[in-house]
Amino acid sequence: MSESVKIVEKETVPSEATMIIGLPDVGLVGLISTSYIISELNLKEIGYMDSDLLPTVVVLHKGLPHSPLRIYGNQNLIAVISEMAIPAPSIYPIMQKIVEWAETKKVKRIISMGGIPIQNRQTITEPKVFGAASNQEQIDMLHKKGLKIMKEGYIVGPQALSMRYSSNRKLSVIALLAQSFYNYPDPEAAAMVLKELAKISEIKVDISKLLEKGEEIRLKARDIMKRTQQEMNRMKKSQEYDLPLYV
Amino acid sequence: MSENQRRLSIFDVMGESMDEFEAWADEVMESPFPEGPSWNDDVCCLYALCNVFVTPREVIITADLPNIEPETAKVEVDENLLEIKAQMKKKLRFADLGIYYRQGEFSSLRCQVRIPVPVNTSKMTISCRERIWEIRFPRKKRQQ
Repeated sequence: MSESVKIVEKETVPSEATMIIGLPDVGLVGLISTSYIISELNLKEIGYMDSDLLPTVVVLHKGLPHSPLRIYGNQNLIAVISEMAIPAPSIYPIMQKIVEWAETKKVKRIISMGGIPIQNRQTITEPKVFGAASNQEQIDMLHKKGLKIMKEGYIVGPQALSMRYSSNRKLSVIALLAQSFYNYPDPEAAAMVLKELAKISEIKVDISKLLEKGEEIRLKARDIMKRTQQEMNRMKKSQEYDLPLYV
Repeated sequence: MSENQRRLSIFDVMGESMDEFEAWADEVMESPFPEGPSWNDDVCCLYALCNVFVTPREVIITADLPNIEPETAKVEVDENLLEIKAQMKKKLRFADLGIYYRQGEFSSLRCQVRIPVPVNTSKMTISCRERIWEIRFPRKKRQQ
């Protein structure tokens, strides 16, 4: 299944690094937070993803073509982002490939950032962040560091698959999910995720610039949000509102 | 002949019904964010993201209007079409986004939404928090 997805390494990829994943999803929380880390830590493009399952798109930066799904990094950190909404059916092979690749690079742990849709988000000034993890050891660590745990509920989309595929491979995955708008870009939620990320990792960035640029980001991210919403509808993302049944 | 005419008329009726159904489906399925650019350089506006929620009693429309001067915001309803317009704090040019192959600048944000069910527009309420505008209409009861 994952044969149709290829990761091309442009530079040496660190081993035993932490991997963060920020793909377009609810409120673009993961994408905004990961892009901010890339720019604040000045991470270099070290690879990209190539697949015929992705639309025929290249992104031009400074006149040069780039794959919309790219991998950045430094000695300790690998960051995966997509500048394009990923078609819902392609999420499976793409996430499977990312996790397989992470294993070959002996990634210490994967941290997937995103949002949890909240209907009354505009009444919340400081969105809360909840953690989920692929094993009890990581849950205990999140507890210890003072993070709230998402004890019950559904996760749909890239985070769900990163957890599912990593559990099969005994890789540690943490999902950091901030209360956010469903289909409005939410830089404030992204900032809250970064705040919590700093508690559990060495990845520390000053979020003040992100908060300052919030309105500008909301304005510029309308198109990718619109396309992401279409894909979220296809992957039945609204199931995250459902209440799980435990008897 | 008369039987053919009757058949034809049945097909005509079916055809008309299908046309009506398609028009209705188009209207219902119409996305609040139509395909095409999220901007209109003829009227110098960017289209805002918006949502429509229909509850048993209300229609709630929200719109994300970042970077606007709140006092310039105008909400207008014309039959079943709602329009929200506001001036931006600062004009945005394509060049500000690093796009030099297009020309144009944008000074307002705009959101146009079809209200999917009959509502009482005289009881419209408007609120705004964190640049998210929320417009609520009570739904009309059937006998109204």
